[in-house]
Amino acid sequence: MSSTRRQLLQGGAGVCLAALAGCSAPAWLVPGSGQDARFSAPTGRDSDAVQNLLNRATFGVRPGDRDDLLRLASTPEQAIDAWIAQQLSPGSLDDDACEHALARFDSLDQPVGELYEYKERVLLRELTSATVLRAALSHRQLHEVMVHFWTDHFNIDISKGECAWLKVADDREVIRRHALGRFPDLLRASALSPAMLWYLDGRVNRAGAISEHANENYARELLELHTLGVHGGYTQQDVMEAARCLSGWTVRPKSGFLKAHVAFEAQRHDDGAKSVLGQRFAPGGGAHDIELLLALVAAHPATARHIAFKLCRRFIADDPPAAAVDEVASRFSSSNGDIAETLRALLGSASFRADINAPTSMRAGKLKRPFHLLVSCLRSCDASSNASTALTDYLTRMGHAPFQFPTPDGYPEAASAWQGTLLWRWQLASALAGNRIPGTRIDPHLLRVRAGGELALSAHLLGRLPDATEEAALRSGADPLALLLASPAFQRC
Amino acid sequence: MADAVLSAGQDIDRTLVVVFLRGGADGLSLVPPVGDDGYHRARPHLAVPTAKALRLDELFSLHPSLHEMHELYQQGTLAVVHAAGSEDESRSHFEAQDLMEHGGADVAGGWIGRWLRSRQADDARIGGTLSAISLGDELQESLRGSPTATALRALAQLDRSSEAQLLHAQLAALYRPDALLAEAAASALAAATRIATLQATAYQPRPSARYAERKDGDLAVAFSRDLSRVAQLIKARAGLVVACIDLGNWDSHFIQEQLLEPRMRALSQGLGAFANDLGELLASTTVVVMSEFGRRVRENASLGTDHGRGGAMFVLGGGTPGGMHCDWPGLHDSALDGPGDLPVVHNYRDVLAAVLARHGSRDPGSVFPDHPQRPLHV
Repeated sequence: MSSTRRQLLQGGAGVCLAALAGCSAPAWLVPGSGQDARFSAPTGRDSDAVQNLLNRATFGVRPGDRDDLLRLASTPEQAIDAWIAQQLSPGSLDDDACEHALARFDSLDQPVGELYEYKERVLLRELTSATVLRAALSHRQLHEVMVHFWTDHFNIDISKGECAWLKVADDREVIRRHALGRFPDLLRASALSPAMLWYLDGRVNRAGAISEHANENYARELLELHTLGVHGGYTQQDVMEAARCLSGWTVRPKSGFLKAHVAFEAQRHDDGAKSVLGQRFAPGGGAHDIELLLALVAAHPATARHIAFKLCRRFIADDPPAAAVDEVASRFSSSNGDIAETLRALLGSASFRADINAPTSMRAGKLKRPFHLLVSCLRSCDASSNASTALTDYLTRMGHAPFQFPTPDGYPEAASAWQGTLLWRWQLASALAGNRIPGTRIDPHLLRVRAGGELALSAHLLGRLPDATEEAALRSGADPLALLLASPAFQRC
Repeated sequence: MADAVLSAGQDIDRTLVVVFLRGGADGLSLVPPVGDDGYHRARPHLAVPTAKALRLDELFSLHPSLHEMHELYQQGTLAVVHAAGSEDESRSHFEAQDLMEHGGADVAGGWIGRWLRSRQADDARIGGTLSAISLGDELQESLRGSPTATALRALAQLDRSSEAQLLHAQLAALYRPDALLAEAAASALAAATRIATLQATAYQPRPSARYAERKDGDLAVAFSRDLSRVAQLIKARAGLVVACIDLGNWDSHFIQEQLLEPRMRALSQGLGAFANDLGELLASTTVVVMSEFGRRVRENASLGTDHGRGGAMFVLGGGTPGGMHCDWPGLHDSALDGPGDLPVVHNYRDVLAAVLARHGSRDPGSVFPDHPQRPLHV
C-alpha cells in the first residue's frame, strides 16, 4: 500500500472514502497492518498446525502472521511453542499502534464515575467498535481471545440498570486487567465491579429492610456460573448462605453523590453465623465475609473442573476429551488459578497438539462464533475499518452483538447454537468482498498480489490448498473472495 | 421435497406457536390467587388487589394488565393452568429452561424436534424450509433435532441480487459434503428462496387486529411483530408447523412491578391481536405460553421475588376447551416447596401432550418418554 493511500485511509488529510461516498460513518478508518509486503500461505493439500493454531488461538490469520510465527524458531514445532510463550506474556508484545487507534474513543479511559457524562448509546457504540478493533488489530491476540472468554463467563448485559455506563469500566478494570492474570483476582474484581453489582442485583442484597430475605441472584450465579458450575455440589442452602455473606455490598446510583462508588454498609450486612459448602463463617465477620467466601469458591476443586471444561471447550472441541480437562483442571488448582499457567498447560496438552496436527479429514474443527468470523474476515483480508454500526450490525443480525446477551451464562460456545447464522455469514462475506460495507475497505487486488496469486490467497483463507470442489466453485464466476470467506472451511477454527 | 407441497386447500393444517417467557415469570402475578388469604399475607407490597384483578373464578384472577387475555378466557378460547412446571429443583434459569425445552432429563433433542420427527411420515409440511421457525436470534433448544429449523430474522436485509444467487449456487455445492453444516446450509438456501417470495407481498393484518404500535412501547411492538409474522405465514399457507417466540427478561428480583407490567401488557395485547387477526384460523392454531419456573411465594427485600417452582401456563386456541385448571395446593407453609415455593402440581408435559394430541400426534406420550402421563383436559 502506498504511503499516500495509507494517509488517505487514516483520514489524517481530512479526506476520506466514507465522506466521498456520502455516508454518515465516522470520517476515519483504522488501517489494517499497513503492510504491502509479500506474505506466505500454506502450500499443502492438508491443513497444517501453524494455520490451525493461529485460527484457534487468535481472531484470524492476518497476512504475515504465519511468517512472523515461523521466524520465531528454526522448526515449526519450536516456533509454535515460542509463539505461545510470547502470547502468554502480552506485556512483551508492543501494542502501541492498536492503542493509538483506540485513542479516538474518549469514553474508554474515563474513571468510572465520569462515564455518566456520556449518553448510553455513545458508550455502547464506542465500546463495541473498540472491541472489534482490538480483536482485529491487537498483537496480543491470545489476550484478546481470553478477554472474550471472560466477557462471556462474567457476562453483563448493558440493557440492565446502569450497566450501560458501568460496563466500560468493568471491561477495562475487571476483564482486560485480569484476562491472563490470576482467577481469584479476576473473581474478586468481578464481584465488586459496579456493573456486576447492578447486573445481578448484588447492590440490593441486604439484611433487614422490608422483610428478612436476602437477594440471592448474584450468589446463585457466583456458584452456578462463575465458579463451581451447576453440578459442582452446592445446595439451595449454600446459595442462600452465600447471599447472606454478600449482603451489604452495594454501589451508589447515578442519582446521588459518589456515583458508581462501591461500598460496604455494615448495617445492611447479615452478620450472623453462616455455613457455605461446609465451611463455618463465624458471626461478626462483616466485610471480611466476602473475602472468605470468594477464596473458598475460587479454590474449590469443582471450580477448577468447571473453568477447565470451558477452556477446553473453547480451545479444543465442543465436546472436549476428559484427559485434557483433567490436566488443565489440575494445573489450574496447582497454580492457584494462574490463568496464563493454565493456558500453557492446555495449549501444550497432547489433546490440543493432536488436534492442530490432525489432517483435515480427521479434524472436526470448531465453528467460529459470529464475532470470531467477522473479525477473522477483517484480519485475513487486512481490512481498514472504523468498526461502525454498518459493520457491527452484522453481529446483531447473527445474534452475537457484544455486551448484549441477556442472561448471565453468556453467549454459547458450542456450534449447535450458531448453525442458524449461515445465511448472514454469507451476506457478510459477499458485502465485505464487494466493499459494500460503509466504513470498511479491503483491497482484493493488493491482497492477491501480496499473497502471490489466486491460489496462494485461497490457501491463506482456507488454511490449505483448495480441494477439487472448491477449485470448481472458484472458477464459476462467483466473486472468489466472497466464496472463500463464505466457504465451510473459513467458518471453522 | 417438502417445500413443493404447499398446503393450499388443506383445512386440517395446524400450527403450534410456543411463547417462552424467559427468566422465570411470576405465575402469582400473571394469575393471582386473590381468593387465597395466604397470597395477600405473603406479598404485602406486591399482591394484586382483589378489586383490580380480572376474575376467572372464586379463587383465581388475571393480572389487570391482561384484559385481552381475559376476554379470550371469557370466550372460552383460553385455558389457564396454575401451579404448573417441571421437576427441576435447581431453580437455575439455564437448567430449568434446558430441562423444559428438552422435555425431560434423559432424552435426546428438544421436545419440538422429537415431535416433528415423530410426525414426519404423516405431515408433508415437516422438513419444509418454513416448517419450524424461531422468531429469535438463535434457535431455541426445544427445536433441537428438528428435521429443519430456521431463525427467521429480519427478512428484508437479505441480498437477493443475481450475484448473491450465483454465490449461493456455488455455496450449495461446497456445503453439501460437510457433515456438520450440510443440513444448516440446505436450510439456509431454501429459506432464502422462500423468504424472497413472501417478501414480494406486504402483510396486511385484519383491520380489527390491534397489534401493538409505537405508543405501546418497543417490547410490545417487537412481540406483536413476531406474532403478526407468524400470522402472515399461517395465512399464506407457507407450510408452518411450529413457531417459537421468546418474550424475555421476566427475572424479577427487584421492584418487579416495573419489570412485569410492560411484559404482561405486551403478552396480552399481542395474543389478543393475533387471535383476532387469525379469525377462524385460530381453531387450527394453538398458542402455548410457558416459562421455566414460577417465583418464590414471599416477596423479597427489594420488592421482587426470587426463583421458585410452580408457575402459570396458558393455552390459546386450537380447540382448547378453555377454562381454569388447577388443583390448588394452597399457600400455607406446609404446602410450600423448599425455601417457600408454590409446588408443581401439574407437569408442563401433561399440558403439552394434550396440545400435541390435537396436533395430530396419535401417541403424544412418546414425545416425553421419561414422563408417566397424567393428561390434563386443556
